[in-house]
Amino acid sequence: MKNKYIIGGGIVVVFLSLMVYLFTQSNIQYENDFTKIMQKGKTVRATGKWIKERNYITDPMTKNVTFFMRDNNGVEMKVLYKGTMPNNFEIAQSIVVTGQFREGTFHARDILTKCPSKYQDQKSANS
Amino acid sequence: MIRSMWALFKKDLQSEIRTRYAINSLGMFIIVTVSVILFSLGSEKLAQNLTGGLFWVVVFFTAMSGLSRAFVSEEERGTVMTLHLIARPTVILGGKLFFNLGLIFLMNSVTFLLFSGFFETFVFKSPDIFLLVFIFGNIGIAVAATIIAAIIAKASGKATLYPVLSFPILLPLMLIVIDLTKTSLEGTTYTDAGIELSFLACYDIVMLVISYLLFDFIWKD
Repeated sequence: MKNKYIIGGGIVVVFLSLMVYLFTQSNIQYENDFTKIMQKGKTVRATGKWIKERNYITDPMTKNVTFFMRDNNGVEMKVLYKGTMPNNFEIAQSIVVTGQFREGTFHARDILTKCPSKYQDQKSANS
Repeated sequence: MIRSMWALFKKDLQSEIRTRYAINSLGMFIIVTVSVILFSLGSEKLAQNLTGGLFWVVVFFTAMSGLSRAFVSEEERGTVMTLHLIARPTVILGGKLFFNLGLIFLMNSVTFLLFSGFFETFVFKSPDIFLLVFIFGNIGIAVAATIIAAIIAKASGKATLYPVLSFPILLPLMLIVIDLTKTSLEGTTYTDAGIELSFLACYDIVMLVISYLLFDFIWKD
């Protein structure tokens, strides 16, 4: 009778820890190396900068927005996003797009923009 | 042991066929919820990412309205003592679990058929993954619902206590299941959904073992 609780408890502990491990794995990871994104094709949060010189194009029929992003190593990637652009997209310092890379373009389902802070530190205010 | 579980299952099935209490209440619940969704939509199309969530909302509340019958009915008819006398706790848990599994697979298949009949956007790009999600989700709900039904059978105010106790226990399952349903509507692969699928399998195993271990204490009274 005691064996039942020992074995059962063991199974519960093993699978619970496996569950916790899997739960930490399932979150979408940040990735700032575009070459890795292009190889894997997994759902990731890609961080990079919008290339201002190659403006973004809105297709009025499908409401798709396409633009280009560059990572720190200078690798460029085409991004396709369905929906309206965030307001502060053009002044953003860097952007984070969540989605998947397939067939030569990054299909984003979410865009986050990181904006320059309103509050300057004291040094730059004095100078 | 399997044979006495089977006997208990058959006893439950026969009394269910005669009274049709659970089947009727579950069927009514499914029909009412699906038609309310249909009325609220009017002639509009339901957005695809909402159908998955709505499907599991219907499944969760249907389970909450019907699955507690397994132990509550014994309590109401005063047959608990007889069960105490004739069978071991594990056997009782097994029999009730089989019955609830049968019930939940039946009602969720009906819900699924109704959803795919009425909502054009409820079409899966990867049906094989949804089938796995469906099976794992149903097993998880049935196991958790059975053990909680045993806990609440003696309490007063069963009808409110049941969903309140079940919700936190089923929450991790529901989160993963809704997410996976959404992605399998959009189309996904085994490598992408692998982590979540194995999480579901782990959840089912943990719930099964825990309820096997704890049922002795719940049933002992």
